[in-house]
Amino acid sequence: MAAVAVRDLSRCFGAVEALRGVSLTVAPGEIHAVLGPNGAGKTTLLRVLSGLAEPTAGVADILGRRASPGRERRGAVGLVPSGDRSFYERISALENLMFFARLWGLAARPARVRAQAVLEAVGLQEAARRPVNTFSHGMQKRLSFARALLTEPPVLLVDEATHDLDPAAATQVRALATERAEAGAAIVWATQRIEELPGFAGNVTVLQRGAVCFSGSVTALTAVAGADRHLLGFARGALAARAELEAALGASRLEPARDGDPDHAVLVLAPGMPLGRAIAALEQAGATVLSCRDERPPIERAFLAVTGGRAA
Amino acid sequence: MIAVAELRKLPAFVRRDFLVFMSYRMAFVTDLIFIGAQALLFSFLARIVDPGRLPDYGAGAVGYLEFVMIGVVVSAVATLLLQSVATAIRNEQMIGTLEALLTSPTSPVTIQAGSIAFDALFVPIRMAVLLVATAIVFGLHLDAGGILPAMVVFAAFVPFVWGLGLVGAGGTLTFRRGGGIAAASMTVLALLSGAFFPLELLPQWLQTLAAVNPLAIALDAIREALIGGAGWSAIRGDVLALVPLSAVAMLAGAAAFRAALARELRNGTLGLY
Repeated sequence: MAAVAVRDLSRCFGAVEALRGVSLTVAPGEIHAVLGPNGAGKTTLLRVLSGLAEPTAGVADILGRRASPGRERRGAVGLVPSGDRSFYERISALENLMFFARLWGLAARPARVRAQAVLEAVGLQEAARRPVNTFSHGMQKRLSFARALLTEPPVLLVDEATHDLDPAAATQVRALATERAEAGAAIVWATQRIEELPGFAGNVTVLQRGAVCFSGSVTALTAVAGADRHLLGFARGALAARAELEAALGASRLEPARDGDPDHAVLVLAPGMPLGRAIAALEQAGATVLSCRDERPPIERAFLAVTGGRAA
Repeated sequence: MIAVAELRKLPAFVRRDFLVFMSYRMAFVTDLIFIGAQALLFSFLARIVDPGRLPDYGAGAVGYLEFVMIGVVVSAVATLLLQSVATAIRNEQMIGTLEALLTSPTSPVTIQAGSIAFDALFVPIRMAVLLVATAIVFGLHLDAGGILPAMVVFAAFVPFVWGLGLVGAGGTLTFRRGGGIAAASMTVLALLSGAFFPLELLPQWLQTLAAVNPLAIALDAIREALIGGAGWSAIRGDVLALVPLSAVAMLAGAAAFRAALARELRNGTLGLY
C-alpha cells in the first residue's frame, strides 16, 4: 500500500487554481521530490496532505486514510514547514519540543526523554537549553526536523527545508531525511533546489502553475535534458574561424555563449557524439580548447525543458 | 478516553506560558506597579465619595474603596480573560505556531482552552492578591466567610466571559481583527455593571438592561458575599440566573469558533495573518 496516494487533487483559492488535478504516490521508504518554481503549488499540496487545508476536488490518502483535518490521521504525519516562525522563540529548544511531544500524547517524563533524543539526532543537544530566538536559520531548520521526528511518523512532509541553507547545513538536513527513509518513512520533499535531487530522491513530481508537468524517476527527468550542451573556452581569436570549426563538427554545432565572451561558445553535441571526439575535431581544425564544462547541469536543463523554460 | 487524553495536554500549555511569562520579567514588575497605582488612585477617590449613596449590602455603611475594589478586580479579571480568549488563537497565528499546533493530534478546542489556561489561573490569582493587599494596606472591611460563596458566583460567571471571548475569537479568525470588538463589548458590560458606581445612578432604561447583565449580577452577588457576608441562600438566586446566561454564551461561542475554524480550514487560510 502506498504511504501517500494523491489522485486528481485540486485546490482553489477563489479564482486562483493552486493545484490542478495533481496525482502522485509515495511508497514507504521512498523520498519523493515535489519540484517546482515559486507559486507552483508545492506548499499547498503539503498543506492538504497535512490536513491544514481541504482539497477542492480529488483525494489525498495517507496510509489508506482520507486526508481531512482529523486528529487520527494527523498523528501519522510529521511536517517540517518552510518558515522559521513555528516555535515559541523565548523558551528553549528542549522546552519547545517537550511541549509538542505532550501534544502528541506523551506524558511529561517520556516527552523530556524523547525531546532530548531527537535533539541529539539532529545535532542540537548542546543548544538544547538555549532560547530558540538565539538559533541560526540552519539550527531552526534542524529543530523543525527534530519536532517532526518526535513520534517517528511513517509519513514526513518537508517543505523547502534546504532553502537558504549553506551547503553543509543542507547536507545535514538531507541526511536526516535519508535516515528516516531508510527506517521506512515515506518522505515528500518539496523543493526548488533541483541540484539536490540526484542521489537523494528516487522519484520526482514537477509542478508548474499547480499542474503536474513531469512525473517519474529523477533519472528519467535527467534524460529529458536532451542533447548535451557544453560551454567551451577557446584560445583568443580561435572562434574567428567559426565556419571551419562547425564544418569539422559535422552534425554537432557551436552556438554563441550567453555570457557574451567572444572566446566562449556552446558546443551542442549531436545524439551519440562523444564529447572527446568533438573536441578532438575542433583541435584538428586549428582551435585550441582551454576549458570545457556543462552549460547547465542536466537536471537543470531537464527542469527547464519540462516546465517550458521557466527558471526555478 | 479522548477527553481525558486531551485534558492531560492542558498542563503542557500552562508550563509553556509560564516559561514565556517568566522570560518577560520587567513586564511582571511593571504589572505589579500598575496594580498598586490603581489601588492608590481609588483610595484617594474614596475620600470624595459619599458612602451614603452606595448600596447597603447588609453590613451597615459601606466604604467606596470596598465597593470599587471588588468592581475593579472582577471587571479586570473578566476583561483580561475575555481578551485572552478572543486573541489566544490569533496570537498563535501571529507568532506562526498555530499550524504546528494543528498538525499535532490535538483538538482545536484543547488548543483554544490550553492557550488561555495560564491566564485563567494566573489572572484571578493576581487580582485576588491585589484585593487582599488592598484590604490589608487600606484596612478594607471584607468578610472572610464570603470568600467561598464569592468564588462560586465567580465560577458561574466565568463561562459567560469564555463564551463571549469565543465569539470574539471566531470573529478574530475570520476578520483578522476582533480583539477590539471583545474589548468594546466588555466596556459596555462594565459600564452597565456597577463596577465603579452604583447602578442607581444610571437612567431607568439602562438599569433595566443592567438587570440582565451577567457582570452586574455577578458583581452584586460577590459584593453581597464579601461585604455583607451573605451566605449560600442569598447568592443562590444570582447563581441560578448566571448559569443559563453562561450556558447560552458558551454554546454561542463554541458554535462561532467552530464555524470560523472550519471556514479557515476550508479556505486554507489558517496560517495567513
